[in-house]
Amino acid sequence: MQFIYSFQSEWLKKKRNLASWLVVVGGFFTPIIIIIYSLVYSSKLYAASVSPNFWIRLWNNSWESMSIFLLPMGVILATSLITQIEFRNNTWKQLHTLPQNMTTIFFAKLAVIIVMMIQFFILFNIGVYLSGVIPVLLIKGVPYPKASIPYFAFLKENMLYFIDCLPIIALQYLISLQFKNFLVPLGVGIALWILSVAVFRWQYGYIIPYTYCGLHFLHNMDKLHFHVPIHFLAFGYFVLFTIIGYILYITKKEKG
Amino acid sequence: MISYCIETENLSYKFSGNEPVLKNINLQVPQGSIYGFLGPNGAGKTTTLRLLLGLLKKQQGEIKIFNKEFDANRISILKNVGSLIESPSLYSHLTATENLEVLQKIYRCPETRIKEALEIVGLSQTGNKKAGQFSLGMKQRLSIAISILHNPSLLILDEPTNGLDPNGIIEIRELLKKLNSEYKTTIVISSHLLAEIEKLVTHIGVINKGNILFQGTLDELRWKQMHNSVIYFDTSDNEKAKEIISSNDIRILSSKEWITIPLVEKKAIAMLNQKLVEEGIEVYQISTSQKDLESIFMDFINT
Repeated sequence: MQFIYSFQSEWLKKKRNLASWLVVVGGFFTPIIIIIYSLVYSSKLYAASVSPNFWIRLWNNSWESMSIFLLPMGVILATSLITQIEFRNNTWKQLHTLPQNMTTIFFAKLAVIIVMMIQFFILFNIGVYLSGVIPVLLIKGVPYPKASIPYFAFLKENMLYFIDCLPIIALQYLISLQFKNFLVPLGVGIALWILSVAVFRWQYGYIIPYTYCGLHFLHNMDKLHFHVPIHFLAFGYFVLFTIIGYILYITKKEKG
Repeated sequence: MISYCIETENLSYKFSGNEPVLKNINLQVPQGSIYGFLGPNGAGKTTTLRLLLGLLKKQQGEIKIFNKEFDANRISILKNVGSLIESPSLYSHLTATENLEVLQKIYRCPETRIKEALEIVGLSQTGNKKAGQFSLGMKQRLSIAISILHNPSLLILDEPTNGLDPNGIIEIRELLKKLNSEYKTTIVISSHLLAEIEKLVTHIGVINKGNILFQGTLDELRWKQMHNSVIYFDTSDNEKAKEIISSNDIRILSSKEWITIPLVEKKAIAMLNQKLVEEGIEVYQISTSQKDLESIFMDFINT
């Protein structure tokens, strides 16, 4: 029960925080670009809407920039911003003198970040749907897409992308809890993301924990082939980083 | 037997590689008292208070709060403790009410307490104003509202009047007095200025360089003040005057330029003066040196 109260308390703190806006803006950014693109190149829309692959193509187009750039960067920023709330406001000491144990605090904060990611995925999915529907509603003569939406395939894809971004959440969370300076987790995150982009085509690129969203997308696009269970690896890294982060957090000598 | 709300035994602490900042601190804060924890900057006050709240990991010694060992009963103890350590800890992007809501979720106190706490500190009209836009005084008040939100039986306040104007200081003082008298809240309040808390506290602990130099009631400190006061006599014949004074069973402390004796009653001073005049000694001056609490405090920290 204490965990739920702690979660509610942590959830309140993110009100008006940039991370909350990031979830909304990030969720609708790519869909809006796609809507604009569809309206600008409206002559191509008719052929697309009658295509049996309409939704799959739209899905892949939406994930192209999201998986490689926007999702990892968004996770890096949002995780660091949420953790930064306590450092920036000098509130660790207040938080640590409340009647709740350190374990609860650690996992309540992590849960807030994870729920925010789920929020982001929901908004992104709504955005993808709207980016398929809005242009055909606005342009005369273009029929509603004939192809049916492959719900289960998309749900599975969502889950896999979600698992793939978990190690980024866990490592960013670990680093953000240790450093007061916001630039440290941000710098480390960006450096690891650049590294992950650089090693996409390296045969052992999958050892970098920030590569999985991109690798998954490239694999889906038949642009990359590997025989490593990257989603298991991603989950393994998530568990490992979470355990290390937890140990470092509860053994801190100074708690504010 | 006195019941202590806070009791420490040989509490010592040092930051890595440095000299100990606390040396065998035996703090005894009586139940229901307002305990002034005094010392100059860097004396070890904040370190002691952070140890009491579990913000620093205890290295040596024992801490008991509400008669329970702190580490083993941390959560049950903290349910009844409110604190304000150093600068205000507020979520600057949230309003005063939202700041209290964050804590109300944890303490599980009635939501009506949020309004009550804000009214007590005079911040009920701040509306949608974010805490980051508050003046330092308002932030300090909000921090106090946070510390009293759940009606704690112990309040630990580290220099809570920092940044407050004289009016604000008086208001906070009255508020703390009221909490203590009406709700029997035990209050530990640290300060580096004795004058600031002299009118508030019932007990005092003086700390300097990690050592407790004095601990007791305000009356005991006042007794010490009396004990340290002296009377000076300047006469035309100090040698003869010394004999006369001694013959009246009064101890001479020094007789170099002036004759110095311990503080005695007014009548005794008049009697001595009369006797000296009767013996033909001219009395040029009789003066008292009565040390105020501040100078006693300064004596403590300068020894």
